[in-house]
Amino acid sequence: MKVATDIGLLYKRYTRQMLRNPIWLFVGFSTPVLYLALFTPLLKQVTRAPSTGVALELFLPGIMSLMAFASGSSAGFSTIFELQGGVIERFRVTPTSRFAILIGPILSGLSMMLVFDLVVVLVGIGFGFDAHWSGLAVLAVLLCLLATTFAAFSVATAISTKEISAFAAVINGINLPLLLLAGVLLPISSQTAPEWMQVLAHFNPLYYLVVAARALAVDAYGRPEVWQAFAVLAPTCAAMLAWATRIFRRAVA
Amino acid sequence: MEPIITTTGLRKSFRSKRGPVEAVRGVSIVVGRGEIFGFLGPNGAGKTTTLRMLTTLLPIDSGSATVAGLDVGRAPKEVRARIGYVSQLGGADELATGRENLVLQGRLYGDSLATVTARAERLMAALDLADFADRKVRTYSGGQRRRLDIAMGIVHEPEVLFLDEPSTGLDPQNRANLWVQIEALRTRGTTVFLTTHYLEEADVLCDRLVIMDHGEIVAEGTPRDLKREVAGDAVVIVVHGGHEVARRAGRILEHEPSVREATVEDDVLRLYVEDGATALPVLLRLLDAERIELRTINLSEPTLDDVFLRQTGRSLRDGGPAGTETAA
Ligand SMILES: Nc1ncnc2c1ncn2[C@@H]1O[C@H](COP(=O)(O)OP(=O)(O)OP(=O)(O)O)[C@@H](O)[C@H]1O
Ligand SMILES: [Mg+2]
Repeated sequence: MKVATDIGLLYKRYTRQMLRNPIWLFVGFSTPVLYLALFTPLLKQVTRAPSTGVALELFLPGIMSLMAFASGSSAGFSTIFELQGGVIERFRVTPTSRFAILIGPILSGLSMMLVFDLVVVLVGIGFGFDAHWSGLAVLAVLLCLLATTFAAFSVATAISTKEISAFAAVINGINLPLLLLAGVLLPISSQTAPEWMQVLAHFNPLYYLVVAARALAVDAYGRPEVWQAFAVLAPTCAAMLAWATRIFRRAVA
Repeated sequence: MEPIITTTGLRKSFRSKRGPVEAVRGVSIVVGRGEIFGFLGPNGAGKTTTLRMLTTLLPIDSGSATVAGLDVGRAPKEVRARIGYVSQLGGADELATGRENLVLQGRLYGDSLATVTARAERLMAALDLADFADRKVRTYSGGQRRRLDIAMGIVHEPEVLFLDEPSTGLDPQNRANLWVQIEALRTRGTTVFLTTHYLEEADVLCDRLVIMDHGEIVAEGTPRDLKREVAGDAVVIVVHGGHEVARRAGRILEHEPSVREATVEDDVLRLYVEDGATALPVLLRLLDAERIELRTINLSEPTLDDVFLRQTGRSLRDGGPAGTETAA
């Protein structure tokens, strides 16, 4: 089918662009590894975890959620550059499906993210993290749903704002509260956070990912956090993609 | 002439902080199959906006347009399959090679890898791109890049090719080369619709052209017909003593029977005369009698700039980087 071919072509193109940009690759790899190396010892102290492995059960899922969020919400930056370089316009004037133009790069971003996740888990294992692979596989699906949601939002925002400063203002304005209200680094729970914060967190898709990720890291599929995360993230992701595709169709690049 | 592009009353306005900008105000044109058709106009005339409406990139406010027999507003997808578009920016991937860019572009039109690869090969040979086909586009010179942009615009063998300022930023030699390549498209039967603010480009390349200003068409025809409308020769006189002196010279000379029209801009007096060779000595004698000193005097056949000047009262050369060429 034409749409599938188009998605494949644009996926390959985007991946090629990424792989030819070594600085970007270096940053992508080093950031999470630095987090692990420099933050885990602190966390171990603060949470009084009996071992680094236990501290990582709390922290590693947070890092992976953070990476999914960051890779998603930064997707629009390259859209801005491609808009300004006339690349998006070049694609839009071909009979390529608008959905393919949107989703090709997003899928490529997801692949990159999963590779980085794998690196993080392997480094984590080096520090004593006890990896439960089936739980991590389910987590991978959730990470992809969240990253896609924010990538679609980010790309659609880029298409509507068209220039870097307005785009960055919107994205930064949204990122900070979402990050603070998700318990990425330290969990938001009845012991750690005031009630208003716990309530607000329940409006944040990232929060659902983070709590589900912590459950899945210890292989506890049965916990309600896991299905709740699916129940929140899957429809949000579908709605965001539909909205972004509409923006793309109407877009004046 | 079999029409391949028609527009009637095409309009577009944009919202801006200082109220609406009417970028295109009622453009009606007919382009015949196989023509090289030009849109000539200064910066901000509405050339790109018109092109973007015709190529489905911008919704049309009012009026209608058909390309290759299809309504642009109603059947955008079908229109896209039949046209090629090279924007002012080009838009090739900097980090990919020329060949990679060409192949991807062709594939997006749904042609098979084998077909596209073969076509890319042929195009790269035809447009002198073969030597650096496997180098990243980032390393290309301006002229090489523009040729690649054009190759990307025709890799799917479209019926109509839209070129937005194909030669802006190129040196005269590269520009002349590009004209040869664009001419070659005509022999393949491709209709070429291009915008330019180089008078010479429109003159050399276009079968027919329209002159656009402030969103409206101010003249239309073949370059020859347009120039013939101006009629006679242009005499451009630059006087010593500034605007006042030029105005006085204009008042003296406009009563001369051989002078059809006189316009003054700063210290430049521009006259249209029936026959320059016989008129010139008379004009010089009159000015001498009035003790008006001349800085320069220049006799030329009319150019498209004279056409533009006559229609709009301004010179196309004043605005921006336009018109580096000298009068023919
Ligand atoms: N997206 C937009 N939003 C607001 N105004 C716009 C937009 N696009 C174009 N305009 C305005 O419309 C007018 C026509 O612009 P257009 O780009 O069509 O001119 P042009 O003839 O292509 O000029 P140039 O030779 O500089 O490329 C200009 O005044 C421009 O500022
Ligand atoms: Mg333009």
